[in-house]
Amino acid sequence: MPRLRALLLIPLLTISACRAAKDAPPAAAKDSPGGTIVVSTAGGPDNLMPPITVQNAGTQVEDLIFQHLANVGPALNTVGDEGFTPDLATRWDWAADSLSIAFHLDPDARWHDGERVRAADVAFTFALYTDAKTGSAAAAQLANIDSVTVRDSATAVFWFKKRAPDQFFQAAMQMQILPEHLLRALDRTTLASSTFASQPIGSGPFRLVRWESGKTVELAVDTTGGRRRAILDRVIFTQAPDPVTAFTRVATGEADLYEAVRPDKVAEVLKNPQLRLIIAPTLNYTFLSLNLVDPATGKPHPVFSDRAVRRALTMATDRRSIVANMYDSLAVQARGPFTSAQASADTTLAVLPYAVDSANKLLDAAGWVRGADSLRRKNGRLLTFAIAVPSSSVARMRAAVLFQEQFRRVGADVKVESSDNSAFGARMSARRYDATIGSWAQDAGPANARDAWTTAAAAKGLNNFGAYRSAAFDAELDSALTMMSAVESHRHFTHAWKIITDDAPAIWLAEPKLAMAINSRFVTTGMRSDSWWAGLPKWYIPADKRIARDAPATLAR
Amino acid sequence: MRALIRQIGHGIVVVAIVATATFVLVRVAPGDPFAGALDNAHLTPAIREQYRAAYGLDGNIATQYVRWISSLLHGDLGWSVSTNRPVARIIADALPNTLLLMGFSLTLAFAAGMALGAFQAARQNRAADHAIGFVTLFGTALPDFWLAMVLLLAGASWLRIFPVGGAADPLLPLAASFGTVMRDRLLHLALPVLTLVILITAPVARQQRAALLDRLGADWVRTATAKGVAPRAVFRRHAWRTALGPVVTLGGLALPALVGGSVFVENVFGWPGMGALAAGAIATRDYHLVVGCVLVGAVMVVVGSIIADQLTQRLDPRTLQLDHDDGRVTT
Repeated sequence: MPRLRALLLIPLLTISACRAAKDAPPAAAKDSPGGTIVVSTAGGPDNLMPPITVQNAGTQVEDLIFQHLANVGPALNTVGDEGFTPDLATRWDWAADSLSIAFHLDPDARWHDGERVRAADVAFTFALYTDAKTGSAAAAQLANIDSVTVRDSATAVFWFKKRAPDQFFQAAMQMQILPEHLLRALDRTTLASSTFASQPIGSGPFRLVRWESGKTVELAVDTTGGRRRAILDRVIFTQAPDPVTAFTRVATGEADLYEAVRPDKVAEVLKNPQLRLIIAPTLNYTFLSLNLVDPATGKPHPVFSDRAVRRALTMATDRRSIVANMYDSLAVQARGPFTSAQASADTTLAVLPYAVDSANKLLDAAGWVRGADSLRRKNGRLLTFAIAVPSSSVARMRAAVLFQEQFRRVGADVKVESSDNSAFGARMSARRYDATIGSWAQDAGPANARDAWTTAAAAKGLNNFGAYRSAAFDAELDSALTMMSAVESHRHFTHAWKIITDDAPAIWLAEPKLAMAINSRFVTTGMRSDSWWAGLPKWYIPADKRIARDAPATLAR
Repeated sequence: MRALIRQIGHGIVVVAIVATATFVLVRVAPGDPFAGALDNAHLTPAIREQYRAAYGLDGNIATQYVRWISSLLHGDLGWSVSTNRPVARIIADALPNTLLLMGFSLTLAFAAGMALGAFQAARQNRAADHAIGFVTLFGTALPDFWLAMVLLLAGASWLRIFPVGGAADPLLPLAASFGTVMRDRLLHLALPVLTLVILITAPVARQQRAALLDRLGADWVRTATAKGVAPRAVFRRHAWRTALGPVVTLGGLALPALVGGSVFVENVFGWPGMGALAAGAIATRDYHLVVGCVLVGAVMVVVGSIIADQLTQRLDPRTLQLDHDDGRVTT
């Protein structure tokens, strides 16, 4: 019963969190900066070199050390520049033909080593991100930018190959601006092992004090630039060996924030008077990917290449029960390859219903006949396949077992193959699986689906692992990504989502929510679905709630 | 001396075989050192392949092995993919933590185990012997991760006396006094050391008790008693000293743990030592780091074995007789 009560409170907490997000810090807090936030994590940065950072833990730190030219707004609109707020650039001008945008940099902006931030740094950053030697995952997102030129020391001009609704987003958000004077001489093939990757110099609100790999990252507020000072003095990320320990540190007051509270810990957070629970949407979705290519032969998959079978399996899936089992109430059902928080989402999209009888009829019609053992066969071949899951994910293991049971009801013999995360990753990259429970963490941009579901991305070495191919879907998505009208763009997105969900190359399961435990002495603001830490420079601790570690910063040992 | 040189020679061969086998096995095991952020739609397998080449992990195993041997001969243990640091520096950071934890734990556990075993042997079949025997049997049977979790829950979560994990408080100011720093270190050490002491003391005590009981019935002990040597002196000089052999052997076997650490205990308490490092390296398929950890561990096993052999021979001269070979004394 306490757990039920706890879960019933979640919507209220979500609302209160959203309300807090709109509140601006009071003048008193601005006048009395200070305080420390200790973020407990279960993983650390891989490196602090923005173009090649892979882990989310690294991105969190980098977003506080470096700056974008502008930041996307809380609505995550990426069409034009509506909702964007200035960051390193204080303003921008569009060319009449929309094929170039001039960004005017903050004249007071300084790197943490005291050097002035110049337009040449922006041009250099673009060159670095797009150099094949760098190997940046963001390079593909910058493909529409032809070049970046320097008009004067404080003005960088982005030239685009073609007009695109998200061209401002591409220029403003896909790169964190880097200091040319410190990176010019580096070998771009070995950036990860450079000194800069462990001791970065940025221009953001916080500067790096120390990074002890596997243990701690400490940031201190930077006061050298012209931008408004962050209110907190220090941000410390402490790395725990596992999620349970990371959470326990927050529960005991050793740390202040943990961003991935599991459903079974929600009640504990709600009971703890020192903690506040924040529930917010994310840009992640999970799904059961069906490989349309037989991994053994490279030919069409004997089961999943048949659209009717894929649709039948989708209709045999009770997604509500699987999602509840995986995430309790900390997720909503996904409708397709998008999340509700994205501007491209269609939250009214009709999905294939849960209808076991209809699923059975579809399989009958497709020639899969039930035998005496109640399993189906077609031309002597058993309706059988394996679901690959990483053993480190309890939620996915549970979901795989539920899939196994639900598919058995329509005569499919399913095996669950678990492997550790590294082995699982190798299998995914090599596409050696029949089906797998996958997850995509997207950015705010509209082009994520292009990287994961289009024909172009089905090529070897790209991320459409299930090799779904549909010219109609590609065309609709392409139109959606090139329409300058938000309404028209959305109409094409809706068509694209309809095509792909009807084709059922995957069974979209859930949009997990962010469940964060934070010490109640913090007043938070500015969280976005793509990054809860976006507003951290504006977070504050009321003077009467400060504790010993909030005292004026001293260098840590 | 010749035997010692021979032992060292054998040790070098063992270390080379272990390192080579590990090098091959971690590479043939399924897995990908660049499997991180699998859910990042922008990070393609092609980019992962590019990273692999940048870290020298492309090419076949033989090519990689030649590269690694060449680096090793130059004193370079390679580059850690998961932490983006040189393997040697990572091990140099983790090693002192493990030496501190295991040094403390082994010293306390062996001292307590030997004392308890001697106490039991001196009171054989009395109530105290039975009671301690029961406790040590229980201690031997305890799973290490379970005990660690229970102590962590009790000490850090319920009582909130000790920190949840780590080796030091990351918020401790640089200007903190020596006393404050020492207190912080001891608080962080307390729970992992207590766990290990409980786990190690039990088998040491049982080994010590059994060895002492064996020696107390020996001819030379009876002779010494008959000669009128004081009972305490008989116990200490004639029985206990010769009964140290099995405990020293146990100590020799435990020496590699000084470096290897205790994987479970370090993981539960977030102690940044060699055990947690090796476990993490295996999980992330950080090839160079795995081989580096195994290499250091193998060297310590060999060194530990040699030290144990030498100590046993010094403590119990009878072992010298056993080593006579064709009339030659081999020590």
